[in-house]
Amino acid sequence: MAYIEFKNVVKAYQMGEVFIQALDNTNFEIEKGELTVVVGPSGAGKTTALNILGGMDLATKGRVIIDNKEISSLKEKELIKYRREDIGFVFQFYNLVQNLTALENVELATQICKNPLDPKAILKKVGLEERMNNFPSQLSGGEQQRVAIARAIAKNPKLLLCDEPTGALDYKTGKQILQLLQDTCREEGMTVVIITHNQALTPMADRVIHFKNGTAYDIQKNEHPTPIEQIEW
Amino acid sequence: MKKALMKDTVKEITNTFKRFISLMLIVLLGVGFFAGIRVTSPDMRNTLDKTFDEYEAMDIQVLSTLGITKEDIKELQKIEGVEKVEASYVTDAIVNIAETEEVVKIMALSNEINKTKIVEGRLPENNKECVVEPKFLTGTEQKIGDKIKIEVEDVQDEDGKDQPLLKQKEVTIVGTVNSPLYISSDRGTTKLGSGKISYYMYIPLDNFDTKIRTVAYITVEGAKELKTYSAKYEDKIEEVKARIEDISEERRQARYQEVYNQANKKIQDAQKELNTQKAKAEKELKDAKQKIENAKQQIRNGKTELESKKTETNTKLAQGKTELDKAEKELQEKEKLFETEKEKILATLEFVSPEQKEQMIKQLEEQEKLLKQARNTLNTQKQQYEASKKTAEQELTKAQRELTTAENEIQTNETKLQTEQKKADKEIQNAQEKLEDAKIKLADIQKPEWYILDRNQNIGYVSYLQDADRIDNIAKVFPVVFFVVAALISLTSMTRMVEEQRVQIGTLKGLGYSKRQIANKYLLYATLAAVLGSILGVSIGFYFIPKIICNMYGMMYNIGDPVLEFDVGLTAAGLLAASVCTVGATVYSCIKALATTPATLMRPKAPKSGKRVLLEKIPFIWKHLNFTQKVTIRNIFRYKKRFLMTIIGVAGCTALIVAGFGLRDAIGSMIPTQYGEVFKHQVEITLKDNLKQEESKKAYERIIKNKEIQNTIRLNQQSVEIVKSNNNQSIQLIVPEKVEDLQEFIVLRNRKQKEQTYILDEQGVIITEKLAKLLEIREDDEIIIRNIDKVEVKAKVVGITENYLLHYIYMSPKLYEQLYREEVKVNTVFANTEELTEEQENVLGKAILADKDNISSVQFNSVTTTIFSEVMDNMALVVWVLIIAAGLLALVVLYNLSNTNISERMRELATIKVLGFYNLEVYEYVGKETLLLTLIGILVGLLGGNFLTTFIIKTCELDAFMFNPQIKLASYVYGIVITLLFATIVNILTYFALKKIDMIESLKSVE
Repeated sequence: MAYIEFKNVVKAYQMGEVFIQALDNTNFEIEKGELTVVVGPSGAGKTTALNILGGMDLATKGRVIIDNKEISSLKEKELIKYRREDIGFVFQFYNLVQNLTALENVELATQICKNPLDPKAILKKVGLEERMNNFPSQLSGGEQQRVAIARAIAKNPKLLLCDEPTGALDYKTGKQILQLLQDTCREEGMTVVIITHNQALTPMADRVIHFKNGTAYDIQKNEHPTPIEQIEW
Repeated sequence: MKKALMKDTVKEITNTFKRFISLMLIVLLGVGFFAGIRVTSPDMRNTLDKTFDEYEAMDIQVLSTLGITKEDIKELQKIEGVEKVEASYVTDAIVNIAETEEVVKIMALSNEINKTKIVEGRLPENNKECVVEPKFLTGTEQKIGDKIKIEVEDVQDEDGKDQPLLKQKEVTIVGTVNSPLYISSDRGTTKLGSGKISYYMYIPLDNFDTKIRTVAYITVEGAKELKTYSAKYEDKIEEVKARIEDISEERRQARYQEVYNQANKKIQDAQKELNTQKAKAEKELKDAKQKIENAKQQIRNGKTELESKKTETNTKLAQGKTELDKAEKELQEKEKLFETEKEKILATLEFVSPEQKEQMIKQLEEQEKLLKQARNTLNTQKQQYEASKKTAEQELTKAQRELTTAENEIQTNETKLQTEQKKADKEIQNAQEKLEDAKIKLADIQKPEWYILDRNQNIGYVSYLQDADRIDNIAKVFPVVFFVVAALISLTSMTRMVEEQRVQIGTLKGLGYSKRQIANKYLLYATLAAVLGSILGVSIGFYFIPKIICNMYGMMYNIGDPVLEFDVGLTAAGLLAASVCTVGATVYSCIKALATTPATLMRPKAPKSGKRVLLEKIPFIWKHLNFTQKVTIRNIFRYKKRFLMTIIGVAGCTALIVAGFGLRDAIGSMIPTQYGEVFKHQVEITLKDNLKQEESKKAYERIIKNKEIQNTIRLNQQSVEIVKSNNNQSIQLIVPEKVEDLQEFIVLRNRKQKEQTYILDEQGVIITEKLAKLLEIREDDEIIIRNIDKVEVKAKVVGITENYLLHYIYMSPKLYEQLYREEVKVNTVFANTEELTEEQENVLGKAILADKDNISSVQFNSVTTTIFSEVMDNMALVVWVLIIAAGLLALVVLYNLSNTNISERMRELATIKVLGFYNLEVYEYVGKETLLLTLIGILVGLLGGNFLTTFIIKTCELDAFMFNPQIKLASYVYGIVITLLFATIVNILTYFALKKIDMIESLKSVE
């Protein structure tokens, strides 16, 4: 049995009189320790899948199993616990708390976890040793995203979910962030899922899931992923 | 405005309906409370005006100490400006109800002025019936149909003879009525019974069996059309009062002459009668004396006669006796001679012949026979003598006895005469004394006083107006708090709204719309909210607030249904103020937003960057805070506007509550402190004026004989004033007879340092605190005291003492004697009693007042305390109004702020939710800030409450008393607890609002 299983998942919204089916019978699997890239055009249902995977949203139909835990049937409180302990999330717009320093933003996450990593050590690892007492507004976009990643990793989650982590960054910085994510996956053995609309990134992944029209229509496995520095786009 | 923009505005309102409503609501609250509470005082006054109009209540009443005559009425009627005059009778009486007695004000029913309103039953149809006030029935447990007996003092008829005042003393209650003369629960005082009038009742005027009236009720032309409290009304009444004053001198003189002549005639008649009687009595006595004298003479004559008769009889008897004795002697001699001869003859007999013998014997026998005859005669004579002697003696004794009896009789008569004479003398003397008294009284008849009173002497009327004033003063302060908050709230709301729509504003600006056109949308939005809120606010405010407050006061006063008015001026003021606040706030935020370029506007506004707070620079404290505490503190200082708003809102709420309770404390503790801590005596007994020292001493001794009285102090109390420019306070000068006793009755101490007590000495006087404040007198100042006789003395103020009611100057007797050069004249007695129930007090009061000639009044301090507890009930209602208002304020402010807070920090909150914060943790993340701000707000509010209370006290306080400015700790506690309660309600709402935050929506790319 795979580490993550997405089975026949349907997600439907009712928006006024319009009925939207964001996910239509989606199936995929991810193994532990893999770096997965979910790729597809806007509106293909990537983010919805990620939200369901991250416990931020519930599937209308189907089962989602992560590490033998069926999260699709969890109650609200258990879902929060799941987010709290098992998930690290990296957003496109970093979502740092503006009023907290880099270190404090990481601490905000670690203070509620069971086995957190040392916030300072993590920040050092992401290369922000010098800036850890700066406020987000004093940091560049890349630095902010590093803090966000540090915040996510510091929780020591089972799964690191990244929604367009480079979407708001320039090429060079984006590359650095992807490098960081790849390194984290390789070195810590963490399962990482990255959503992107950039097809060029697929070689870096162990597994590539292609989304189109609300479903995962193709899943490829890369036996030999390319290091990110060798990828150009 | 372009059509599309108009559409956009309408859509905006429907889309942000909650915001629109909350904006409208805060305007509604602010305007409603402002208008409502401002209109309450005028509404109360109008209610009073309407009530008095309905009752046709008098504008002026004239009372005369010697009564009002028909001529008086005629003259009053002639005065310019007088509309109607009605003579009426008012008296105080003891009314017997079942087993109890009550002191009742008895008034005559009227059809013209001071009408009554039937509450239950009907009006009396004849003299055997009466109506009472509703309280009478509940208080005495009587019902309609019950009989009561009125005991009232006799009056003098026109000839000066005493006669009963009422034709019918036993009357049946046929109904209950309300009177305009007594709209509050105070019924005034009297010289009867315990000195306190319990109820009032009405009987037909015809039942008063006298031609004299005690009072003339007057209405003034055109006064009814004016508002009774207005300056115009007062002026009009004063004018007519002055005219009445003008004729009063003449009328008083006339009445005086009338009464004087009546009394004088009575005296002269009495004198004449006395004289006749005296003469008659004297003549009768004289005759009786003459008779006795005559009888005495007769007895004397009888005695002489008796004496001579005695002598005569005795002489006669003695003569008879002598004769008898002589005859006896002769007879005895004859008998002896015969015996001798007989013997001789017998001896010779043997020698003589028988014939001779026989002859001789015969001769002897004859002689013997003769002798025997003589003896017999003598014996008879003797017997006769004895008999006549006896008779004579008997006769004499009888005569003697008769004489003695006659003598005794005369003696009795004489004694009788003496008693009679004494009696007559005494009677005459009494009559004379009475006459003298009457003459003195005649001399004492004083020119009657005319009391020309208006509605301002009606206790209920005045206290109702004072209550209205109090509301007015509150109305000046409280709505301001609401307005400030409303302005701040609309400022935050509108700023937030403009900021949320910066992209749209930028787009519109980019499309080429002018600043004005863009701003119009927001201005329209704000104006609509302000106008709608104001209109709803005044409608609700004008209706509910005065109605609630008037009805609350309606419980304490017998007053008609509240007259509710729509005040255009207040509406305009409220609308204007609300519009200025909200539209002004909108203009401000629009100007700020529109100043930037469209490009900047279309980019998301950079989130407010984090900053280190000052506290972080103090590692000593900062290091000891845990993570969330640090976050909380940083967040508090991050949103300064919200920080201020919350503090102001919460502080306003706490301040209002503290002020409400503080006000209650200030007023509530005034009387208990005055009559518990400052004045320790329970009774104040006033002696009659002009008592001689001896009389006052005796009266005093009678007072202390009452066993309920424990200890007393005798003192002089008189009205004085302090000579100082334009501030004439009526002041009581108190001079105790003995300074050392005073502290058991009146505590002279500094209010702020209670242990600092003052002792009266010759150095100077001690004055009360409020007096010092009003006249700006400080310790060591010199004051000039002027008494009723206009004597002015100078004294130094050596102390300012705690006191809450009325004004007093305390002076030692020594100083008094020095200053006035006369002895202290006792006219008042303060007494401490054992604990007494109201009933026992009544009994004691009656007992003391029984000494009618010397005691003028008895006043129990408990009466004042009781009246005051009613005022306190009124205050409790005001406190409730304030608490409800404060609560609404707190709810609206906190809810609004918490909503703004959440919407402003939506992303941040969604992020921490994604991080896996439990609902409670998310709540704590913002809740801690709110709590801390609330706590700071409460602290500020406690201070504000203190200031607010002081301010209201200053504006509400009347000259005659001083509120106790000490706010009790409990009031602060109430302020804290109630504010926290409201904050908790809002926090619970916040909790659910936070729970509803949708992570996905919030985390989508920034719009």
